[in-house]
Amino acid sequence: MAEIFRLSLRQLLGRWRVSLIVLLAALPTLLILVVKLVGEEAIAFDGEFVDPMIDGMIIGGIMPVVTMALATAAFGNELEDRTLYFLVLKPVSRINIVLPKLLATLVIAGPLVVASGVAATAMAGGELKAMLAMAIALSAGVFTYASIFTWAGLITPRALAYGLVYVLVWEALLGTFLSGIRYLSVRGYTLALLQGIDSESFDVLESRVIEFPAAIVGAVGVTLVFFVLTQYRLRTMDVP
Amino acid sequence: MIDAPSTVITVENISKWYGSVVAVNDVSFSVEPGITGLLGPNGAGKTTLLKMIEGLASPSDGSVTIFGQSPRNNPDLYHRVGVMSEHEAVYGFYTGREFIEFSAKLHGLSAYQEAADLAIERAGMTEAQGRALGTYSRGMRQRMRLAAAMVHQPEVLLLDEPLNGTDPRQRIEFHDLMRQLASDGQTIVISSHILEEIETLADRILLMVSGKLAASGDYRAIRAKLDEQPYNVRVVADDPRAMASALVELDSIESVSVADDGEVIVLSKNVELLQRSVARVARDRGIRLLRVEPLDESLESVFSYIVEG
Repeated sequence: MAEIFRLSLRQLLGRWRVSLIVLLAALPTLLILVVKLVGEEAIAFDGEFVDPMIDGMIIGGIMPVVTMALATAAFGNELEDRTLYFLVLKPVSRINIVLPKLLATLVIAGPLVVASGVAATAMAGGELKAMLAMAIALSAGVFTYASIFTWAGLITPRALAYGLVYVLVWEALLGTFLSGIRYLSVRGYTLALLQGIDSESFDVLESRVIEFPAAIVGAVGVTLVFFVLTQYRLRTMDVP
Repeated sequence: MIDAPSTVITVENISKWYGSVVAVNDVSFSVEPGITGLLGPNGAGKTTLLKMIEGLASPSDGSVTIFGQSPRNNPDLYHRVGVMSEHEAVYGFYTGREFIEFSAKLHGLSAYQEAADLAIERAGMTEAQGRALGTYSRGMRQRMRLAAAMVHQPEVLLLDEPLNGTDPRQRIEFHDLMRQLASDGQTIVISSHILEEIETLADRILLMVSGKLAASGDYRAIRAKLDEQPYNVRVVADDPRAMASALVELDSIESVSVADDGEVIVLSKNVELLQRSVARVARDRGIRLLRVEPLDESLESVFSYIVEG
């Protein structure tokens, strides 16, 4: 398993991909720096900051896009390069192929997204508890997205495009107007976890998050379901 | 079907279709230790058939077993089977050495370095093992992929077009290696669309045409059948009619016709003799010979003789 993990890290750490996602993850910090330098009013960690920056930019945009760019490539690259047969024609169980691929995505995406969120929270004057809440909620969100998009990368070569549609249409657009969708939305789980862990700092989210236990069950359930589906797909697909 | 004791691979009434396209149609055969050549023109279904044998694709109908076990979703079987796919893609960032060690480790070999040494040496890649795969020539990549397929010394080797991109010297070395492995008791299946690549190598051949098994058995028997067939040869000369009338007198000629565009089409059972005679005839008659080329060189044509014959 360690060999496939190392292989996956090398595959995912391609120069253009890393540059892009690092830049994306650094965007909130850069924006806050610019505002601090040229803005007339000081930035405060309140509803006006949490709404656009934490919910809109980090949880609604950076977290899914960074995770998606890596997770869809975990198997997507192998399929595109037609190298997947190297792995499946070895005496290695399917779980020992899927798990290191997923872990490689998490090891890269997790720290980037968490650092992005925690740094933005700290720079805006958020308390330690808020930073901790960000770290936990974003980690859970990255985990769940990674599981979904690793599977998607094995299903279709257009996983990235479909992923963006899912994030923009299902989670952002429909999730805003139809509250029930938040029970089937990684963004919904992440926001609920955030608000559940630190309700004081993130009180602006209170009216639009699902119940805390439902978010835990949802995130864990979706992660497990797609982890199993990925193994099933790898067992049943015709490998090119 | 009851397997003979030495049968290693059994393919029973196997078919594979993609929508309305039938890639492999009701094929049955068994493979024993030694070298088996899987021959057929491009698009004949060889790769699809091999993929089903390897366990990479599921049959739409029928069954495949290796050592009595289905290869599909059976990772443990790959301790005994080595595969070299038709795809030439490799992990370009690995050096050749890293790639072979990676393969050895996935096979769970504790002495992976020794195994890699042996496989690389057998593939004749010792000198280039420290270079990145991305910098290799096509032939070198093929040899390193072959080393990866045999690093765990499998009992069965399934090789899909292994000689693509190799030069004549590499082909001779490949032949020697395959013969050595076969003499050690290994079961080797080699697919190719070029008859000459494996005609002197395979103990037995399987001929695939349009998804069906057109013929199988000893290569020499099939070759003899091929030799009974006349071949078409195109002769282009500055005076086609004079050339045609000169050629028709030769013993090696079955028939001669002159096409509308002035090309002479010759049907001959002895192309070698024709090749020797045609230049002499042209010189003797003062005809300028522009081109001589066999029209039936492709394997498709050769196979059609067998299928229709």
